[in-house]
Amino acid sequence: MKYLPLIWSGIWRKPGRTVLIFLQVAVAFVLFGVLQGLKTGIEHAVAEARADLLLVHGRETFFAPIPLGLLGQIRAVPGVKVVVPVGLFGAWYQKPEQGAIIVAVSTEGDWTDAFTFNIAPQYLAAFNKNRTAALVTEYAAQKYHWKIGDHIPMISKTPQKDGSTTWAFDIVGTFTDSDVAVGRYKILMHFAYFDEGRAAGTGSVDHFNVAVTDPRLAVPVADAIDRRFANSSHETKTESLRELAQAQVQQIGDLDFLIRAVVSAVLAALLFATATMMMQSVRERTPELAVLKTIGFTDRAVFFLVLVEAVVVCVAAGACGLALATVVFPFAGRFVYGLAMPKVTVAIGLALAAAVALVSAALPAARAARLRVVTALAER
Amino acid sequence: MRQFLALLRMSLEGEGARLGSVLTIVVGVTCTVAVLISMLAMGTGAHRQAVGDVQDDEFVVQAKGSQIMQSEISREEMVALRDLPGIARDKDGEPQVDGLVLVPFEGHRRGTGRRVFFPLLGSSNSQFELRPPARLTEGRLFRPGLHELIATNACVRQFEGFELGAKREVRGAAWTVVGHYDQGQSLQCIVLSDAETLMSLFGRNGYNRISVRLDRPSDFGTFNRALEANPALKLEAKPAREQVESDMKQFNGLLNFVSYFIGSIMAVGATLGAVNSLYSIVDSRRRELATLRAIGFGSAAIVAATLVESVLLALPGALLGAALAWLLFHGMAIAPFGFTFRLDVTPRLAEIGITWALVMGFIGGLLPALRAARVPVTTALRAT
Repeated sequence: MKYLPLIWSGIWRKPGRTVLIFLQVAVAFVLFGVLQGLKTGIEHAVAEARADLLLVHGRETFFAPIPLGLLGQIRAVPGVKVVVPVGLFGAWYQKPEQGAIIVAVSTEGDWTDAFTFNIAPQYLAAFNKNRTAALVTEYAAQKYHWKIGDHIPMISKTPQKDGSTTWAFDIVGTFTDSDVAVGRYKILMHFAYFDEGRAAGTGSVDHFNVAVTDPRLAVPVADAIDRRFANSSHETKTESLRELAQAQVQQIGDLDFLIRAVVSAVLAALLFATATMMMQSVRERTPELAVLKTIGFTDRAVFFLVLVEAVVVCVAAGACGLALATVVFPFAGRFVYGLAMPKVTVAIGLALAAAVALVSAALPAARAARLRVVTALAER
Repeated sequence: MRQFLALLRMSLEGEGARLGSVLTIVVGVTCTVAVLISMLAMGTGAHRQAVGDVQDDEFVVQAKGSQIMQSEISREEMVALRDLPGIARDKDGEPQVDGLVLVPFEGHRRGTGRRVFFPLLGSSNSQFELRPPARLTEGRLFRPGLHELIATNACVRQFEGFELGAKREVRGAAWTVVGHYDQGQSLQCIVLSDAETLMSLFGRNGYNRISVRLDRPSDFGTFNRALEANPALKLEAKPAREQVESDMKQFNGLLNFVSYFIGSIMAVGATLGAVNSLYSIVDSRRRELATLRAIGFGSAAIVAATLVESVLLALPGALLGAALAWLLFHGMAIAPFGFTFRLDVTPRLAEIGITWALVMGFIGGLLPALRAARVPVTTALRAT
């Protein structure tokens, strides 16, 4: 404790230099926080994606429709709780830039168990009642200025039996989706309305959503479903939402490599700058340190004095930088929907800041400790 | 001027004694420039690949005001379009026009098994797609009406299941890979098949886009006027290069935004480091500077000499950074978001990197230069 004022005065010996080093470290950790946060955040999002919700689609590709008739056989697989046929198509509102994904679901029983949607009970009831009813994501409602009771025409490339490519819906409520992997503009419609209305493809689904009775059964159930259709004309592939999220992250490609390269370059430059500054600082203070030793400070005490000084500056600056990174993170994270700054990243960042300080101050501190009082004072 | 040169020479001769500070500036600038250039090289590489194989006499037609996935051009429009003036004809006298349909498709990367989505292209005129520099390297063309497709050699290298004779499932039907082709310098996997067959399979009534070759690029005016004069055609034509660039805009915009975002933050850090180093250089020369002032050197010369010194210290970092980026990353193939392309470190990028370095050096040198010029003569000389 008694060293505190000493450390403090050491830090502020040259205020200009300390402020500059502080800013430099802070800036480096803003970048570290944003980049590493993005990487860890995406990894978390994948890890949190539901592993117990399964999607059954065609074996070869995600885009091949499979017959609605498989429903009964999937339902008969032991461990399956709910199976919901899903039809998907893209559409836009008023102009092509205002796109949305239309998700046609069959609303029988506890169908919501097989999805990650969060729907208020009154909206759910209203949706189940009306054939042309639609639920829209809160985000889409806000962006496209939709209100409950609105009648919205959506223009698509999926023609209806009468040749029209416009599908009309009555908005009866809004919902949110906890799964971050898919888009924010979503409209839920009735599968019956979709299937009977469309000109082509009646009796097929894009995929089935499956909820299992026990989360631990997810993998065996998925295997059992695929085995049931193996060697049939409609082979399936059953994947959990987590597996799909992983695939989506892999689409982004060499993100890991990129982030690692940039972070290393930033830290290398930073380490160099702090090390030189500490060296310079110790050199300038040789007489003062010699005086300290003369009045009885041990080598050890001087060593730690220099070290602690560096750690205090770097960790404080790192904390500032990471705090700023947390503030700006939502902007950088807009490429990935619903991402928040992971706490792990902040912790690792602080540890790194301390490590940078220790590494860069070790040599100067050792030099300060080895200082021979007589020669140091003689240089004066 | 002579004062300035003498000062500059003195400072530079003394750099050896201040190695630490000098290296801080060089390393900081090197890292910043290397990162900035390599990241920008992604955008340049993607752009170069996209426009690299496009020829000047190539034009594209799409439905007015829509993106490629939403654009729909009816068969009637296609028929009317074929008779417009200016369109080049092949040796059989057929107009060089190709209607394209895009449907979603996917592949699995070799080795990792990662799933990547890309479009499957339906072409109404495969001769058009395979005109030089593109050429069939193996197998044969797909036959209209059959479930057959051909893929670029890039597909075979990057993805599983594109060997000759391999079966691919599209909408519940098995499609056979019957040929391989090369498409200029592009690394992008492109899979081609018959437009009509795909359209009937997917229940489509029109094409997404029509590619047209004109006799001469200068015939575009005539062609476009005729297109706009026909009330039955609700289409718009553009040079293919322009269209490719607008298709790439979002992706390139994202890459460039990320590059400059990271580059700027690193530049701020490197500049701060330079300021710090220069301050300590100036401080270590206080007596020297005071002596010079005492014997009549002007403040302006001292400011100028310090600024130029700072810029000159940033320069080796810039060159080193550009060289590093080129050595490590030039020509490296990467595959973000289903695109595959090589990083391209061009002289233009090196220029950007060097400009940034010079600006960093200049800004970093400003405050220390002012301090150097204001060294109080008497106190500095008296100090030991």
